Order: sequence, then structure tokens, then C-alpha cells
Amino acid sequence: MVRARLEEEFIAKAAAMDAEIESFSSIADALAFASRFLKQQDIKNIAVSPDVLLPPAEMSEWPVLKPEKKDDYLAAGAGLVEADYGISDTGTLVHLDRNDEEKIVWTLPPICLCLLDKRRIVQDLGAVAEVLSAHLFLTSLEVRQVSLVTGPSRTADIEGRLSLGVHGPSRLVILLFEGKTSGSHEKD
Amino acid sequence: MKKIDRHLRRVLKEFSKSYLQKRESVFAGMDFETLRTELVEIKDGALSRCEELNALFEAKARQGGAKVYHASDSAEANRLVYEVAKERGARFLVKSKSMVSEETGLNEFLLRRGIEVRETDLGEWIVQLAGEPPTHMVMPAIHLTRKDVARIFSRRLGKNLPEDIPTLVAIARHELRQEIFRAGAGLTGANALIAESGSIMVVTNEGNGRLVSTIPPVHIVLASIEKILPTIKDALLLLKLLPRNATGQTITSYVSFIAPSPHQDLHIILLDNHRSEILADPTFKEILRCVKCSACLNVCPVYQIVGGKKYAHIYMGGIGTLLTAWIHGLKESRDLTDFCLGCHRCEAFCATKIRIADLVIALRERLHEELRKPSWKKLAFDGVLARPNITQALFSSARASRPVLSRKGGFVRNLLPPFKKYDRFRSLPWPAAISLSQQVKEKSSQKEAGERRAKIVLFGGCLVEHFYPEVGLDALSVLAKLGYEATPAEAVCCGFPAANSGFRSAAAKTFRKLVAGLEDADVVLTLCPTCTTMLTHLGPGILGTQKAKQLVEKVTPFSRFLLKKEKSKLQVLFSSRPFLKSATYHDSCHHKFVLQAAQESRELLEIALGKRLEEMEDSDSCCGFGGTFSVSHPEVSESLLEDKIESIRNSGAKLVALDCPGCLMQIRGGCERKGEGFEVKHTAQILAERLHTKS
Repeated sequence: MVRARLEEEFIAKAAAMDAEIESFSSIADALAFASRFLKQQDIKNIAVSPDVLLPPAEMSEWPVLKPEKKDDYLAAGAGLVEADYGISDTGTLVHLDRNDEEKIVWTLPPICLCLLDKRRIVQDLGAVAEVLSAHLFLTSLEVRQVSLVTGPSRTADIEGRLSLGVHGPSRLVILLFEGKTSGSHEKD
Repeated sequence: MKKIDRHLRRVLKEFSKSYLQKRESVFAGMDFETLRTELVEIKDGALSRCEELNALFEAKARQGGAKVYHASDSAEANRLVYEVAKERGARFLVKSKSMVSEETGLNEFLLRRGIEVRETDLGEWIVQLAGEPPTHMVMPAIHLTRKDVARIFSRRLGKNLPEDIPTLVAIARHELRQEIFRAGAGLTGANALIAESGSIMVVTNEGNGRLVSTIPPVHIVLASIEKILPTIKDALLLLKLLPRNATGQTITSYVSFIAPSPHQDLHIILLDNHRSEILADPTFKEILRCVKCSACLNVCPVYQIVGGKKYAHIYMGGIGTLLTAWIHGLKESRDLTDFCLGCHRCEAFCATKIRIADLVIALRERLHEELRKPSWKKLAFDGVLARPNITQALFSSARASRPVLSRKGGFVRNLLPPFKKYDRFRSLPWPAAISLSQQVKEKSSQKEAGERRAKIVLFGGCLVEHFYPEVGLDALSVLAKLGYEATPAEAVCCGFPAANSGFRSAAAKTFRKLVAGLEDADVVLTLCPTCTTMLTHLGPGILGTQKAKQLVEKVTPFSRFLLKKEKSKLQVLFSSRPFLKSATYHDSCHHKFVLQAAQESRELLEIALGKRLEEMEDSDSCCGFGGTFSVSHPEVSESLLEDKIESIRNSGAKLVALDCPGCLMQIRGGCERKGEGFEVKHTAQILAERLHTKS
């Protein structure tokens, strides 16, 4: 019951911040949707965040970009990322960044597809404060940052009128899936 | 003061309206007061350990691999940024929005030394291309239209662009993305410095902060020392309030917590720029609680009329005035202090409860002490208001010339240039034929002499005494009807005009006389919220005597007293007599924001009228009187009054109730000048009329 309420609230709050939300019973279904989405949108290149472990079958079918330097990401028509947590209070996605590439995939392409295990939706930021704090102390990482992303990039700098996608993505598509107790897609 | 920009005024008004709606919705179900009290505790705690926490931040950031620098002033901060860029071979630097870099004048500094700088926040980029400073801390280009932006972008790109916002935004994305990838260094500010982990918090909506801090090989952070917070939990509380109070969003699109790593080239410059001096000043140190949410600007009646081009040095509005005085010098803040109406509206919205209006008064005091410029105000306060005999003599001669110089309705005959600007938009009242105290004296002389002095004293203030004695007489008659014997206070100015203008000694001189005159009273009922503010808030602090402090306990606004003591009796008295006309209520600034008495007045009036009030839009936005403000800035006063009259008109009410004789003067005068048909009355007048109307 609590999980269902958190999920419902998360969806409502994320939608209020202009995110698009799709819900699936498994990660396989979520990825199948993403596959169709790429075709429908005619996306030639998708950047996949290093922390998203795609099954080999998808990897071979998808037009996955293989960037060598930061500029190469400019060619991506979409990015696929996975959030560590969802915050139902605000519809926020939380990501514990470990390298620049992850941050770039979240921000640079015009469309961001974000996987989120429904079990990782919590009420508020206070519920994960300890985790966020601990991540900032992990000195072994290449990057130790925490990103909170709520809806697509937005601005109202011209006449106070809302426009999406001024720097980051203009579309944030959240793919909620029912995670398993253990498996290859379990986040750390 | 130049002409008011009508377009800007409309844009700012619309922005404020939409901001207030969004803000109300995102704070629904939350207790703003509790949240901001908690944030104040955190900020005050952090500021009291500012040096220690900054040292901890520095140690942790260095451990993580960042280079940390200290800049004592703007010049040093700019030099440090330049040296980092030079050492790393960066000839081109991209920035996300940073008010601190505006404060230091970084862009000009770097440009003079051959380093190109590009703002990447859309609003900042627009004003940079336009060659203008930002006019709002959150919405830098709020003063420009899509037409302006299309013109500015067309000029840059050398082609004719449409005046279409999505197209203009797409162009900005394309252009700025190239710039971000071309840059040798990226500079961001920080919304918080988190001591425990040596990390920074950056809050943006556009995502440019993420790109600027990720794409270029070097990341420079320029942050001021008061941004320090002990832990991420403290930063999360700030995050709960900041976007809600700044833009009416539950959270911004992007929030980044960045801890240094040896794999990144991160340079953090901690700027003091007089902040240590502010921290050491017991009166002003609270201005460092400011989290730059801009809520104070969004609700400031004056900012909404003149915008951030006029009401700013670098930082804008009331809080900007205070920061300017310390950071850029007292002289730079002098003209800005005149813009503050002293309405205290900003304080009701401030995320950290900064007493902006009171501190502007304290700043005016310092300006007088240190700059010692001659002022007509000083002459008026010291030479006239502080001397009751001279004041009385002046009003007596004015009364004597009333038949010649006044016109129908008791208004001053129309003024001629150069004074026309003061009455073009409102008719000014001539002093009443007989003052309040004189009228009461004449009545009581008919009674037997030598009766004991009443314990309830009615203090109406100068405007009631000299211009609106009928308000005082009505208040006395209401009290009498309810069984209270009250006498008017001796006709002495409370000293507020002098105190508000920063003339502390003149205010003290005047206030001392008033305190002595009220010493024997058990209860002091007031008819003017501004005078009441002097009696209960400003005056005791200025005088610092025991008697002044004792007076505070005795003072109650007239409407609060009646509601508290006579609510049941009034309910019975008025129960069978509903008022026929529709009425609305104007919130006088001090009545609502200092005395917190607005709801009590509404309740009292609704009992008296036997019906609900028709609420007007922005009922708590200043009418533009503001005492000497309407003399210093008649154009702004006129605009505020226009807005107020429009709100009244749109409410459909035929009667405007209010609790301040200053607002009565302004709104009644404005209505007379515009030929508006509605009546404008003090609560005491409405109660008296209703009590004496036969059922």
C-alpha cells in the first residue's frame, strides 16, 4: 500500500514538472518500450550511461553511440540513464554520479530516457540524506557528485513564458519498472 | 526620477501575480513560518561559526583534490579567476549564473585581460548581449520582451529572427552548446558550501550549471563565505525552501552536489568582500542569512513599478540596498534607501526573516552620521515636528487661510508647477477647520471642570489631529457608546517620520515628549498603524528608557481592542442591521505586516457590516502614500495609487475600509482626483456610522 501510494504520488509530481512517465511490470518490458520509442522517434544514436547494463541482445539491436570524447555525445539523439532513487514528494530522480559520462548522458541529448526501479521510490530527500552524504565522501570515485533531476530542462527567462530544453533535454521520459529482488539490473 | 516604464510595470505585475499563485500552491500543506524559523536557526548557527566551518570546508575540499583560495575583495577574486584560467591556458570561459561574479565585476575584468567570457544562463546571456546588467536575481532579463530578444539575437547572428519564444530558446541552445564545448574553463557559483564534505550545491533550472561544471576541462567555483552550511541535511532544508520561495517550484529541474575529486580540475574561490565586517556588526549581520531567493523583490511594491535597473546597484531591492552599503560602499546605497517604502511586505515572504525595512532605517541613520548631507527632511523633523509649539502655530495659520486656499470637500486648491507632481494624481486635504483636541476641549469645557483624567487615551496621530478629526471623534463616540470614557492624547507627533528617515535624535526628542504625555494612561488606543509602529516597535528601541518599554504594553490598535473586548456586544448591536452597500478592505502596510492586525479588522468590519467583505486583488500592496516617500518619488506613488484604485474598482465595492489615516489621505485623494464614486473610510468611521444608524 505504501509503495503504491509513493508510486502514485511520484508519477503525479513528475508529470506536474513536465516529465513523461511510463510504467512496466519488468525491466525487459521497459527496454522493449525504449526500443520501439527509438524507432518511432527515428533516433539514429542513443548514448547509454555507463552504469546502465543493457542485455547483449538490446546492445546489438540499438544504435548505441560509442563515444571516445565528450564532443562525441553531441551526436546522440537520446540518452538512456538509470536513477538510483525517485522522490515522491517532488517527482525527482536521484543519481549518484561516478563519472562525467553519466552526467553528460543525463544532460546533453534532447531526450532523456530514465529507468527507475519502483522499489526505489522514497517519500522525500530526507529518506536518502544519509546515502547522498555517504556518496559525497567516497573519495575513490572519479566523480563524487549527486544529481537531482526533476522534469526536463526549463527556462522562463523570456517574458516569464515556460520553454523546455534550453540546455538539457526537452523531454524526460521516465520508465518505471517492477524490479526483482536480485538480478543484473539491481542498482548498487 | 524619470518616467515610469509602462511595459516593465505590466510585466513585473504579471510576474508577481503568477509568482504569488504558484508560491501559495507549492507551500500548501506546509508551515512556511516553521520552515523558515528552522532555516534561520541553521543559517545563524552556521554564521556564528563561519570561520570555523569555512576552514573545515577548505580542509575537506583540499583532501578531495580541489584547490581552495581566499579572496578578501573583488579585485583579488577576479585576479584569482584570471590566474587559474591563464595557468590552464583557458582563453575562453563559460559561466552559469553567479550574482557574486556580478558583485566583483568579473566579466569586465577578464575581458580587459583578453579572456572572453560567455554567460550561459539564458537570461544572463540575453543581458550580456544587450550590454546591460541583470535586473532581477532569478530572472535577469525580466525587463526585456521577446521583441527585444529577437532584435538582440538577430544582431548577434546577422540574420532576421522571428519574435517567437521557442525559436529564440532553440537558437540559444544551439549557440551556447557550441560555446560550452569551446570553453577552456567553466565558472559556477554555489547556493551552498557544505562543510562536512567540502562539497558545493548548485541549483539551476536550465541545466547549464551541469554542463558548465562538466564539459570544460577546468571548473572554477566563485562563492561567498556566508554560503557555508555544516551538513548536507542543512542544505536539503535550504532546498526545501529556496525554489518554493524563489519561483514557486517544489524543486528546480537540476540540483547538483559536487564534491571534489583528484580526477577533476576544481578550483574554489571563497570571497569575503566585507562579509566578515558585516558578521561583526550586531545590527546588520542578519543580512548574511540572505539565500538570494528574490522573494523580497517579487513582492516589493516599488520594485514592481521601477524594476531592477533603477532599484539596484548590483544587488536589487531592499536587501540589495543593504548589501550594497557594505559591499560597494555607503555612498552607492544612498539613493537606493529612498526607494524603500518601509511597508515591511518583503519580511512576510523572506526565507530567512531578515528585517529588511528596519535595517534600511538603520542604514539611513548611518548615512546621516557618516555622509552628513543637508536634507529638507532634517529641517522638517528637527525644526517643525520635534517642536509642538511650532507645529501648532503652522497648523493654526493654515486653518486661518482655509477659506482662501482650500476648495470644496476640504481639499487644497490645485497646485501649480513645480509642485503639480504632488497632487496631479490625488487631491490633497487642507487641515481641518478645528483640530481634534480643540474640538474635544470645547465639548468638555461645557462639562464641569476638574474631573479626573480618563484612563483610556486615544492616540490618533498628526493626520487625525489636524486633517481627519472626524475619525477621532467617531472613535470616541464608539467607545462612549460601548461604555468607555476616553480622551484624546496631547497633540504631539510620535516621531515616526524622523525615525523612518533615519534622524534618530530628532525622533528621540519627539518620542520622549509623547511617552511623557502618555505616562498616566492605562490603555492607549491608536488609530494610525504607522504611529503604533513607532510606539511599540521603533520608539522604545530609539529611546531605550524603561518608560518607553512600559508604554508598549499599554498600546493597542483601536480595532483590535474592540474585537477583543466587545465582540459579543457588537455582534448583538449589529445583528439586525445588514449594510446595504458592498465594502472592501485595504490592508495598510504597518497594520498588516508589523501589527499583524489585518484579520482582526476584517472580522470587526464584517460584524459591523453584517456581511462579508469583497476582497480586492493585492489588498496588501501599498497604496503609495509611504509618508515622505510620496514626496521623494511622486511618480512611483502615483503608479501604486493607480493600481490600488483599479483593484478597488474591480472588486465592485462601493465602500473602502481601512485603518490608516495616511492611506485614507492617499486613496480618498486619488478617488476624488479621478472622480471615482466610492467612499473611503477609516474603520472607526464605519463603526460609528453603523452604531448611530437607526435600525
